[in-house]
Amino acid sequence: MRRLGFVLSLLGCLLFVLGGMCTARAGTIKIGLMGPMTGSWASEGQEMKQVLDLLVEEVNAAGGINGQKVQLVVEDDGGDPKTAALAAQRLVTQGIVGVIGTYGSSITEATQNIYNEAKVIQIANGSTAIRLTEKGLKYFFRTCPRDDEQARVGVKAIKKLGFKKVAILHDNTTYAKGLAEETKHLLEKDGTVKIVFFDALTPGEQDYTAILTKLKSANPDGVFFTGYYPEAGLLLRQKKEMKWNVPFIGGDATNNPDLVKIAGVDAAAGFYFLSAPLPKDLPGKEAKAFLKKYAGKYGNPPNSIYAVLAGDGFRVLVKAIEETKSTDPDKLADYLHNKLKNFPGLTGTISFNEKGDRVGEVYRIYKVNEKGEFILQQ
Amino acid sequence: MTINRKKLYLIAVPILAIAPLVLNPYWTDVLNIVGLYALLGLSLNLIVGHAGLFNLGHAAFYAVGAYTAAILNTVFHIPILWLIPVSGFAAGLFALVIARPIIHLRGDYLCIVTIGVGEIVRIALVNDIFGITGGANGIFGISRPHLFGFVLRSPAHFYYYIWVFVFVTIFLFIRLENSRVGRALNYLREDEVAAESCGINIAHYKLVSFVIGAFWAGMVGNIFASKMTIISPESFSFWESVIMFTLVILGGAGSIEGVLLGAFLIIGLPEIFRGLADARMLFFGAAMIVMMIFRPEGLIPAGKRQYHIDMDRSQGESE
Amino acid sequence: MEEFLQQFINGLTVGGIYALIALGYTMVYGVLKLINFAHGDLFTIGAYLGFTLLTSFGLADKIGPFAAIAVLALMVMGLVAVIGIVLERAAYRPLRNSPRLSAVVSALGASIFFQNAVMLIYGARFHVYPQNLLPKIALNVFGLYVPFVKILVLVASVAMMVGLYVFIQRTTIGAAIRAAAIDQGAAKLVGIDVNGVITLVFVIGPALGGLAGLMVGLLYGQIKFTMGWLYGLKAFTAAILGGIGNIPGAMLGGLILGVVEALGSAYISIAWKDAIAFCVLILILIVRPTGLLGERVAEKV
Repeated sequence: MRRLGFVLSLLGCLLFVLGGMCTARAGTIKIGLMGPMTGSWASEGQEMKQVLDLLVEEVNAAGGINGQKVQLVVEDDGGDPKTAALAAQRLVTQGIVGVIGTYGSSITEATQNIYNEAKVIQIANGSTAIRLTEKGLKYFFRTCPRDDEQARVGVKAIKKLGFKKVAILHDNTTYAKGLAEETKHLLEKDGTVKIVFFDALTPGEQDYTAILTKLKSANPDGVFFTGYYPEAGLLLRQKKEMKWNVPFIGGDATNNPDLVKIAGVDAAAGFYFLSAPLPKDLPGKEAKAFLKKYAGKYGNPPNSIYAVLAGDGFRVLVKAIEETKSTDPDKLADYLHNKLKNFPGLTGTISFNEKGDRVGEVYRIYKVNEKGEFILQQ
Repeated sequence: MTINRKKLYLIAVPILAIAPLVLNPYWTDVLNIVGLYALLGLSLNLIVGHAGLFNLGHAAFYAVGAYTAAILNTVFHIPILWLIPVSGFAAGLFALVIARPIIHLRGDYLCIVTIGVGEIVRIALVNDIFGITGGANGIFGISRPHLFGFVLRSPAHFYYYIWVFVFVTIFLFIRLENSRVGRALNYLREDEVAAESCGINIAHYKLVSFVIGAFWAGMVGNIFASKMTIISPESFSFWESVIMFTLVILGGAGSIEGVLLGAFLIIGLPEIFRGLADARMLFFGAAMIVMMIFRPEGLIPAGKRQYHIDMDRSQGESE
Repeated sequence: MEEFLQQFINGLTVGGIYALIALGYTMVYGVLKLINFAHGDLFTIGAYLGFTLLTSFGLADKIGPFAAIAVLALMVMGLVAVIGIVLERAAYRPLRNSPRLSAVVSALGASIFFQNAVMLIYGARFHVYPQNLLPKIALNVFGLYVPFVKILVLVASVAMMVGLYVFIQRTTIGAAIRAAAIDQGAAKLVGIDVNGVITLVFVIGPALGGLAGLMVGLLYGQIKFTMGWLYGLKAFTAAILGGIGNIPGAMLGGLILGVVEALGSAYISIAWKDAIAFCVLILILIVRPTGLLGERVAEKV
């Protein structure tokens, strides 16, 4: 019988804890942040939180939204669809008005229905897969552009740089593969550029010399790598060590100052990448003020463009609550769809179309110079 | 000293039956995940706990079941509930083909092969094998289960669906434990050589347990697919296999109640530790070590079985 | 042909690192019959400790790069060995007479613990070793690109392997280790300090893992808290491939794994590289159930 008691007391403890978790505070506006705080993408999630913490402080210091303080509710999605679905359920039960996040497309997708059924505004910051906004969900928005938009700019860059034979390398993640396939599709339709190589590397490894050797034997004029900055940095570095001089173009996931650190300044020089304009290149004063504050608080400028896009999601939501003087999801969604025009964001002007996608040409082409700085190309 | 099964279930079942009425949807959903892992744990328990095979690739069979259901449902629009046996069958067949040549491997060698199988399946899914798995995107738009015209939608609906399945599984597996197969498995786990010398065909029974375990994991894959409505390869990583394996050993290999408790802890603890933010997995790892040290046989170890012999017929009953 | 040779060399250099980590795996396994899943994370800790020591003391400027690396290697190996001993005392010793799979779960718990501890201490972002510490000499042999430093790593791991092998086979302490590996009870009876032997094994194994971490940091520059998981799995595969518990086997397994991966990505598909490596492993195990050089059949679980 002792063992039975042991089991029951454990079960009892569990239920007790479960029961004690439903408390809410009134008088504040709660905004959720769902991001990867643990797991492989933890650096992204933690930076998203830093950006939002700063913005929440700012809003509250200025008296809150319509006199009400903002409270940020953070949940960890672990970069995994199942954990994300639980995080979403948990956020929904805490009475949030809207949620910012999350990073990966398949992670976002696992939570879309939960938020939509609970009528919670969701503004994703790093989920670029095309299909997310093709479902006609009323409360879903995103501040990042879609893969097809980026692929279009990518093709433009490839042609502008005069490549005749191009190699496309992705890393088999949803995002990178989506971008790679979209680019391939556009290039094939166009017909002037030949694709001599199309394959995926395994992210998280460190030695890519085997892949570079194979790439080299395909003899491309340029390589379009659609994956993330850690692998891009290593590819550039090992390419340099191999003494192979071929231009590389990266997708917007390579936009991170750590790229230069990993590759080394001399290996990174000459690397092109696509990205939404960096805060330093924006004309608006919001972006500059934000950069200064962020650097003041955390000691360095934000590394990830997606964290800044999360900040934009938050600012747009705050704006909508201010303007509509309401937290009614239908009114907010209507405002974001139809009335919000050319909002000065941290990543350029923001408006949404009826699908919830950000409209306007967002992407620019950047080049890394000899000092390792990111220079906007005209 | 041992658990009184009947009393335990008499207390546990009513508590679980009313749980979704008092819990909010989030905690109901946590219990749903607990239920799914309890099912996966029970299926893996047949392989690890009963047959003593070191399987760290169980997610492969789970994946085969889930993808079978997802593909047949999205392409041919076959109702997902009808596909439960099909998912199980696909996973079982896959296990049979895989396990046949490797079943004779011992201990750690079998372990790395099962890890390898799990990784091969995952890589195949990511690379969109035969163009049917959707690559890293996975498959989306899987329909929810329709039960007599009623659509299972909310966490509470799935709660009853999953937990009824759990208790049916427990009932069947208790029957299995006390069957000829169950006793043979028990014997070969305790002493392979002695079992073989008593005329038990070791390879055959190991294979049987492997296939039944995989069959069950495949059916759970189907439930998972219909619950999430989207499945992608990251749900079937090596890490998933590790979780299933851990919950079986933590709870007590070979013990059904142990596996249930293991599932509660493995899923429940990280959720309870959410308050610790970034440090939650650190505490989880430490908790795993501490629990193993204090209860090395698992939290509820499998009891030694005794069989009473009646006057006219023999009947198995566990104490 | 030129591409084939180039890929072969690429594979050997990667395989050298796998082999170095696999040596540590196999040492611990040989004596304790325990798959030390935390070994990959000891490797990560080695890489991070190397980073801290390198950047905080500025050794390279004071005593020159090669002397600095030698000092660094000794310090990292010593520190990781200490962590290894603590790990054994805390997580494995209490479970020595328990079912073997319980110790495996404890090892998995330790792995999760270490990985998250590193994340909490250093943060989730990448860390980057100082550049240009190692001379970037690439030999050009008949048009092939041969990275000099990577060849040095390969030579170092072969030297380690030979050293360990001689140590185990020729010295008295080595004989004690072998005795404890075969039968701990009998070893105790003839007066061998089995606990001492196990502690020694947990000095050597983690030290080798830590050294491998340092080398990866120096070679590739970029380190992350999750990297040990992948390397650990690869090294475990390598150790099994060669026959776990067997020291030359770990070396052979590591090199074969590296070469299979490189050739697989060159001639079949990069994306399928790991699947190809596992297929080769499974085929080898079907033909040789105890690995290439393994003689003893593993204990039953």
